[in-house]
Amino acid sequence: MNRNTTVLMVVIFVVAGMLLTGHFLSKRASVAPVGTALGAADPSGKLAPDFRLKSIDGKSYRLADLRGKAVLLNFWATWCPPCKIEIPWFVELQKQYASQGLVIVGVAMDDDADKQKVVADFANEMKIDYPVLLGNDEVADEYGGVDALPTTFFIGRDGKIVRRFMGLAAHSDFEDAIHAALREGQSTQAYTAPLENVQGK
Amino acid sequence: MKTSNAKLIAALAILTAAASAQLAKPKPKVTFAPVSPVKITRGGTANVEFMFRVVPGYHVNSNKPNSELLIPTALHLDMPTDISMGKINYPPGKDQSFPFAPDEKLNVYTGDVSVSAMLSANKDITPGRYRVHGYLKYQACDDRACYPPTRLPIAFDVQVVKGGPKPVHRNPAQSPHVHS
Repeated sequence: MNRNTTVLMVVIFVVAGMLLTGHFLSKRASVAPVGTALGAADPSGKLAPDFRLKSIDGKSYRLADLRGKAVLLNFWATWCPPCKIEIPWFVELQKQYASQGLVIVGVAMDDDADKQKVVADFANEMKIDYPVLLGNDEVADEYGGVDALPTTFFIGRDGKIVRRFMGLAAHSDFEDAIHAALREGQSTQAYTAPLENVQGK
Repeated sequence: MKTSNAKLIAALAILTAAASAQLAKPKPKVTFAPVSPVKITRGGTANVEFMFRVVPGYHVNSNKPNSELLIPTALHLDMPTDISMGKINYPPGKDQSFPFAPDEKLNVYTGDVSVSAMLSANKDITPGRYRVHGYLKYQACDDRACYPPTRLPIAFDVQVVKGGPKPVHRNPAQSPHVHS
C-alpha cells in the first residue's frame, strides 16, 4: 500500500465518521420528545440571556430587571393553536404564584407588519394580564432558535434557567417547574424589583 | 497522482461540509415533486399541477383555515411578462382535531396535496423556454408544537411554441379560471 492510498483511506474513514456522527446527532435531535427537557441541549443551569423588548402597549422591558423573581418566559404566536391552550393556564398560574415571586412574561413571535395590533387584539381576547412582549429573531437566536412554539423557559431567582419545555406540556409539569424556579436561587434576593418599565433607560 | 489525490480530498471535504450543513438544518415539513415542463402555444392556455407532500406526523393549514389567525397554505409564482396565471385551485382541507385541542376542528392538509393553476400565454410572446420561480408558503404543526411559517421554493419551465397541429377534439370553450 503506497502513501497516497493510505492518505486516501484515512480521509475516507474520517469523512465517513463525520457523516455518521452528524447523522446520529440529527436522528437524536429529531426523536427527542417535545414537551420534555432536552438532554445534551438542555440549557438548565445556564444564565438566561438578557434582552430588552417592547411590549404590546409600547413599553420597554428588560429581563435582567426581574433578577430576584422566578420567571416563566413563554415564546408563542397567534398562529399557534397549542399556544392557545397554555395561555389560560399561565393567566391562572400568575394569580396563584405571583405573591410567591413568580412573574410570567409572554414573547409573541408573530412576524406580521402590524404585529403589535394583531398580538394586542389576541391578548385582549385571551384576557392576558401579564406582560406580552414583541419578540424578534435576535432574541429567539439567543434562546436557541425557538423553532417550535410554544417554548417555555423557567428561570430561577438567580437568573439561571431551571427548565425548558418545547411544545405543549402538561399543566402539572408547569406547576412542578414553577416550584423549581421559585426554589432556585432563593438566597439571591439582592434585587426583587417587580417587572419594571424601563422605557427611556 | 498527487494532484488527483489532492482534488479527490478537496472534493470529499466539500461533500463533507455540504452534508454537515444539510444535517444541521431543520428538516422540511413539506416537500414537493419536481414540476414537469409545461408546453403552451402562443395565445393558448395550459394547466400546471404542483404536487406537495406533507411529511407524516405534521399537518399544515389548508388554503382556507377555520380562523383568520391561522396562516393559510398558499402558492406564490412570479410569472414572466406575457405569461399570466389564472386562479390557483387548492383542494379542500380536512376538518381534523388534534390532541392539543380535542374540541376544536382545524382545516388542514396532510399527506399528498395537489394544487393546480391555469397559465395563459400572450399571442405576441416570443417562442422559447421561460423559467418560472415561486414558493409555497406554509405553516406546519405536529401534535404538540407549531413551527414558523416557511417558504418552500419551486421553479419550473414553460415552453412556449408557435402552435402545434390542430387538436383532435376541442376543449370546452373557456375555463372559468382563465383570466386573459
